[in-house]
Amino acid sequence: MQAVLKLTKYIRPYIVFAIIAPVMMLIEVGMDLLQPTILQHIIDDGISQGDTSYIIKMFGLMMGTSMIALIGGIGCSVYASKTAVNFATDLRQDLYETITYFSNNSKDKFTLGKLITNLTSDVEMLQRAVTMLLKIFVRGPMMFIGAVVIVFVTARELFPILLVVVPILAFAMYFFTSLSGKLFHKVQRVVDQVNTKVQENLAGIRVIKAYNRKNHQIEQFTDVNTQLMKRSMTADQIIGVLAPLTMFVVNLGIVAALWLGAIKVESETIKVGVILAFINYLMMVMQGLMSSSMVLVQLARAIPSAGRIVEVLDEKADIQSPNQPVQNSVRGEVEFQQVSFSYIKGTEPVLKNVNFHAKAGETIGIIGMTGSGKSTLVKMVSRLFDVDQGVVKIDGVPIQQYDVEQLRQSIGFAPQKATLFSKTIADNIRYGNEMASDDRLEEALLAACATEFIEKLPSGKEHLLTQGATNLSGGQKQRLAMARAFIRKPAILVLDDVTSAVDSISEKKIQQAIEKQFGQATKFIVSSKISSIRHADQILVMDDGQIVACGSHEELLKTNSMYQEIDKTQEGKGGTLHD
Amino acid sequence: MTKNPVGPPSTMGHPGGRFTGPVVKPKNQKQTLLRIWSYLKLQKVELISVIIIVVMSTLLSLVGPFLIGKTIDDYIVKLDVNGAVKMALVLAGIYIASSVLTWVQTFVMIRISQKTIYRIRQQLFEQYQSLPLAFFDQRKQGDLMSRMTNDIENLNAALSQSVIQIVSSFLTIVGTAFALFYLDWMLALVTLTVIPLIVWATKQIIKRSSVNYKERQRNLGALNGYIEETISNADIITLFGKEKQSIEEFREANEKLRTSAMRADTISGFMGPINNFMNNLGLSLVIGTGAIMAVTSGLSIGVIASFVTYTRQFFRPINQLSNLLNTFQSAIAGSERVFEILDESQEVADVTNAKVKNTFAGNVTFQNVDFAYEQGKPILHGIDFHAQAGETIAIVGPTGSGKTTIIQLLTRFYDATGGRILLDGEPIEHYQMSNVRDHVGVVLQDTYLFSGTVRENIRFGKLDATNEEVEEAAKVAFAHNYIKYLPEQYETVLTSGGLNLSQGQRQLIAIARAILEDPDLLILDEATSSVDTMTEVHIQKGLSNLMKGRTSFVIAHRLKTIENANQILVINEGKIVERGNHQTLMNNQGFYAALQSQLMA
Repeated sequence: MQAVLKLTKYIRPYIVFAIIAPVMMLIEVGMDLLQPTILQHIIDDGISQGDTSYIIKMFGLMMGTSMIALIGGIGCSVYASKTAVNFATDLRQDLYETITYFSNNSKDKFTLGKLITNLTSDVEMLQRAVTMLLKIFVRGPMMFIGAVVIVFVTARELFPILLVVVPILAFAMYFFTSLSGKLFHKVQRVVDQVNTKVQENLAGIRVIKAYNRKNHQIEQFTDVNTQLMKRSMTADQIIGVLAPLTMFVVNLGIVAALWLGAIKVESETIKVGVILAFINYLMMVMQGLMSSSMVLVQLARAIPSAGRIVEVLDEKADIQSPNQPVQNSVRGEVEFQQVSFSYIKGTEPVLKNVNFHAKAGETIGIIGMTGSGKSTLVKMVSRLFDVDQGVVKIDGVPIQQYDVEQLRQSIGFAPQKATLFSKTIADNIRYGNEMASDDRLEEALLAACATEFIEKLPSGKEHLLTQGATNLSGGQKQRLAMARAFIRKPAILVLDDVTSAVDSISEKKIQQAIEKQFGQATKFIVSSKISSIRHADQILVMDDGQIVACGSHEELLKTNSMYQEIDKTQEGKGGTLHD
Repeated sequence: MTKNPVGPPSTMGHPGGRFTGPVVKPKNQKQTLLRIWSYLKLQKVELISVIIIVVMSTLLSLVGPFLIGKTIDDYIVKLDVNGAVKMALVLAGIYIASSVLTWVQTFVMIRISQKTIYRIRQQLFEQYQSLPLAFFDQRKQGDLMSRMTNDIENLNAALSQSVIQIVSSFLTIVGTAFALFYLDWMLALVTLTVIPLIVWATKQIIKRSSVNYKERQRNLGALNGYIEETISNADIITLFGKEKQSIEEFREANEKLRTSAMRADTISGFMGPINNFMNNLGLSLVIGTGAIMAVTSGLSIGVIASFVTYTRQFFRPINQLSNLLNTFQSAIAGSERVFEILDESQEVADVTNAKVKNTFAGNVTFQNVDFAYEQGKPILHGIDFHAQAGETIAIVGPTGSGKTTIIQLLTRFYDATGGRILLDGEPIEHYQMSNVRDHVGVVLQDTYLFSGTVRENIRFGKLDATNEEVEEAAKVAFAHNYIKYLPEQYETVLTSGGLNLSQGQRQLIAIARAILEDPDLLILDEATSSVDTMTEVHIQKGLSNLMKGRTSFVIAHRLKTIENANQILVINEGKIVERGNHQTLMNNQGFYAALQSQLMA
């Protein structure tokens, strides 16, 4: 609930709309509520007196109120939509901005999939809730209350009927609403299971076919499918009781009205029109209750969405630029002093007491087994994470003193996972540097050994990549990701195992190009292959979060047993023949 | 505002329900309906009883208002309390009966629809399992998924609710019209004048909202696409410091949506108030005219009362009918999409008297094999080779040269379009497809793991394997080394796709799976490409144990693996350009040797 309150600030700019909408709805409900009373007067005063002009007057009144109700209803709809759409748009924008500045820690904490859900379905859910809140949540209760009050004032003789009918209706609705919540929660769980099964079977169809597991898979599916059928059937059938039940209760109210009415008319305490009006109000009471309960269910569903969104909005951006960042541009000297870091605080660190010093222009090779902390180490250079202990310095200045944006601008980073956007190849490379000339683009592609395969594509550099670049091979994606880093001409170049899927001949060419074009830049090259880092000025051998050795290829071959072992396993393996 | 509920009450406070967006029109309505009918026919008895019950309950609901009028005219106005009480009791009986019938009809209809949906869902799933891989190459997974979920759900909604509602609405409209004319034809005519107005107004709104809704959906789609891509690639945005740029791009898409959503939502929001107005209008007309007629020509109050009650009963289904028909149309369109899949041709059936072998020796011969995924775009031509039982065959060549296709023909993922493939001297099509797949083990380039425990995933290779066998296989694959460090070891639950493991770890499980299967032929498609070199050395040991004595086809990119093969096939642009073992190929001074020497340089 507190989450909901926090989100009200997004309504505030549209508070006028948010007030007009329910007011307009009140007008509509008010007019609707007048109708049965007018009807009663037409019957009891008009017909029984034979007063035609009175009837026409009343008829005019009815038409008039209907028109006003129409205006009210449309007005409410307009302003409710205005409020809800504006609310949702602003909220979405804020949410997106917050998420965009999330640190890796926060992204991991929420997971990307959930963040996407927050931005899409959660926001939409809230938008719908706001619309309902302004429209139906006003209409329902008001209609209910209004009808009850009018009956109490104008048809008190029949009021006892409401005293019986309303509690029964209210209880039945409460009971079935909460029951349906529970039942559909159960159904939803099976629905999820069915969806997961289908999704997996589609994604894993090759494996299933290769292992000839069709029948096994069908058997598993039959289980969940049967369960889904049973649970849905039970849920729907139980919930199906509500409609006939309310109908029955209301109809009994009508019967009672006729019964009681007959007695009261005979004793001349009421007139016939009152009975008719009462029946109409009874319907309104039911409608009011019914729509209120439905809206309540919807609103209840929106509350978790609100909670999730507020949680994201409240997440502090933990990596921020200092108020007065240093102004000097980055040359490329990088120093780690006693750096320790763990992704989840309190658990075993991923980096332990890491020390090294890279002079500007040097090539630093980083080698080690999967999980030894290589990627984490280079990510610290871009300040994707802040150290737990120790300090990372660039050009002798602690990294936290730089403006984050400026720092990252001066780094060309090709991450391990070569993610590309669904844009053209040229646009993807220019992502690294929008101002780059065509020549520079060519140069970057050439350096990454990407020119050859691009030329074979029908539309060359203008080739449009699919989402996730599924129409490219792993090696091709890696080349493009490298070109995107190259085009920046950065002071620090980080290549995080980006040649794993590139054939050895191309890799060699790429190494030469880097040497030639990025002589000034400090280069970090992460790899599990010795051939990728053999020529580095310094090679850091990592194991279990620590730098166990440091030196040139020749030095390490002499002194470090682990490096020797790696070299031995890779020796004579040659390279890779093709992507 | 009289409202005599027929069927489930409308979901929103306004009469007439809500607008649910533009309708997707089915292409061949008649045929699809017939086909849906063919499923429903399986529950003929239930269906007939539902229809009978619907007719009965609708008739009963028509009697109610009539009796109310009669009670007022004959008893209340005449001050006959006893008579009125008697009538009230009769009315109560009718209401009880109609409530019970309404529930029974819902109960049975839900049963019919759920069973039908179950059948269709099951059929669709089995169809997915039986379709050839070529089918999946051409379709998007999301699309296939939504046929299973949204489309079937649409049909469910239509069957369980709309069918009854459409029938009862229709009966109500006709029945009410009869009753109205029976009661007083002049007043009936006045009442009916509102109908064209309702139909016209509804059409106008739907017409306008459809346009706006499409625009809104388009913008929403674009925005959601942008969200998905940028959030999934958030790392790159951060690394390149592009936060401001992507926020601006987002703002643009978001603002577009603001404008179109506002228009669409506003207009469709008119539906409620306008329907409400029509109802009020109808009521006013009935009351106004009725009252004047009462004064001038002695129309009774009871008749007016009946009319008032009927009017509501009359307008509501008309308001709803267009909506109901929309739901129904989407359902038909959805079913059409499902049937479209069901009509796709399945994987080729086995030939009559297909052979089944308990073990294969592993002699594989390709005789002049051609293959094309699409006509006119050949992938393989004239592939010709013979693998002796127990040999290791390495297949090398650039990306897209057709390496993977060759081995996919061996598992019969696809069938050759020309030439013959012999397995132990017999054309591969002469065996049962399942028999071949049972004896060919494959480790694919992109491993897929299912949600479930590590153990279940390995056991996929041999469903009746004991725990010991599973662990033994894991040890051979060098997967045991890391599995023992997982929080629950072999019982660790993997997420769908196995995303909580690294690519290398997933590969190891896939290899363990193949080891457990203990196949007669083995296919390794870049099986160790994502494993670091140290780990690879271990796996290679496991794999060479596995390959011993079995015919193995290996697509590898590391030269070391290739060197030890009995035969190396060098593929380029769908043809075998060179063949031989490492030594002969080096001596040939061809494509292979050129690659090697470039590497050594």
